[in-house]
Amino acid sequence: MSKYKLIMLRHGEGAWNKENRFCSWVDQKLNSDGLEEARNCGKQLKALNFEFDLVFTSVLNRSIHTAWLILEELGQEWVPVESSWRLNERHYGALIGLNREQMALNHGEEQVRLWRRSYNITPPPIEESHPYYHEIYNDRRYKVCDVPLDQLPRCESLKDVLERLLPYWNERIAPEVLRGKTILISAHGNSSRALLKHLEGISDEDIINITLPTGVPILLELDENLRAVGPHQFLGDQEAIQAAIKKVEDQGKVKKAKK
Amino acid sequence: MAAYKLVLIQHGERAWNWMENRFSGWYDADLRPASHKEVKHGRQALLDAGYEFDLCFTSEQKRAIRTLWTVLDAIDQMWLPVVRTWRLNERHCGGLTDLNEAETAAKHGEAQVKIWRRSYNVPPPPMKPNHPFYSNISKDRRYADLTEDQLPSCESLKDTTASALPFWNEEIVPQIKEGKQVLIAAHGNSLRGIAKHLEGLSEEAIMELNLPTAISIVYELDKNLKPIKPMQFLGDEKTVGKAMEAVAAQGKAKK
Repeated sequence: MSKYKLIMLRHGEGAWNKENRFCSWVDQKLNSDGLEEARNCGKQLKALNFEFDLVFTSVLNRSIHTAWLILEELGQEWVPVESSWRLNERHYGALIGLNREQMALNHGEEQVRLWRRSYNITPPPIEESHPYYHEIYNDRRYKVCDVPLDQLPRCESLKDVLERLLPYWNERIAPEVLRGKTILISAHGNSSRALLKHLEGISDEDIINITLPTGVPILLELDENLRAVGPHQFLGDQEAIQAAIKKVEDQGKVKKAKK
Repeated sequence: MAAYKLVLIQHGERAWNWMENRFSGWYDADLRPASHKEVKHGRQALLDAGYEFDLCFTSEQKRAIRTLWTVLDAIDQMWLPVVRTWRLNERHCGGLTDLNEAETAAKHGEAQVKIWRRSYNVPPPPMKPNHPFYSNISKDRRYADLTEDQLPSCESLKDTTASALPFWNEEIVPQIKEGKQVLIAAHGNSLRGIAKHLEGLSEEAIMELNLPTAISIVYELDKNLKPIKPMQFLGDEKTVGKAMEAVAAQGKAKK
């Protein structure tokens, strides 16, 4: 029996989404499409009369900005917002900044798919020589986390994402849900998938096939033990949502030669 | 040598303010569409000065929160913790909420309007249950946890200050003393309450204080949180002077 409702979502497009590059912990801003996706998400939630009590985001701009735009659409700017690195996108290690299509050409679509969608395969770690290493680790936001800078990840599998996300869910978010608060989690593709895997009990094999569209509110209904009572639901026009899912899935593929 | 620096910013012009010069108070008036341009000077100056904040405080009203968001976006510090509190809300305008300032001045006289807007302890008439904005404000979900004593029906500047100061003392001061760089984005009267307290201003002196909108206001404080010099405005002299004049001109009736 559904006792609690939770909304999570994956932020909209940033510049690198269009270029098909792994963005990960690089702090890309939303592009104009991404801003529009966030506003539409907010309008969708407003039409459904959602009244949030608390919002959680990662410490990456694109998730925070998405949350702000949604709150603006709802007229709920006053709702408290809390940000944590534990909701950050999966750390793609040495693959950060690389183009997915180029990777598919070099390593094969299947290897890329495994890196992107498997549960416990870790990409190679990011090294100091990586062009984005210092941009990430010199940033002040990573000096005030609940773990020291040198213990923050240098690469992650989806399993690793869940391991660092779960303490935050258990200690910060779950207690608020249990208090009956309506929660919005504005996150990323992989941090959202990791959380859904945990709450819905999705297997390590099946998680590979789960794709989340950007900018679509995802409703999860939970029982009194915070287990999902059914599969997650995408809120909005279902045809548009299926097209959005396909768009994400196509990102890993090599483009066919044009005739 | 300053032990601490504190930055305050008052939101830009409200949609109501801009369109018809109305008292908004606790009404959750939006900023006018071009407000992000107005706060450009405020945020550019912060960016140029290299301010790195640790914590932000703001009210529960969108015009302050959205001003803060514009600043945080511009200085690339969107990830900072933000604490919202009704105690930094604008002064509650009571029965004058939604009234046009120029019309009120024509009806009650400029002097009465000045008293209501600028005196320390004379509140406007209370907002009654039959006021068109009574439910919109008093029954708003965000104020559901306020006790009857806490939820105002009108406020003098003394009341607004009395509301802000416990929060200042219990929540903001300890953070400053821990060495946190604090940014407060709020409203004309809640910020005047803090300024009065910091500077030990008299009730008469606070009447004369006009805080400019959308510009960063910096206090340099000693270890006892006393200002070591007058407040500074970050921005060019022309912008600052212009903004201060604009606020003072509001109470005058249109000829």
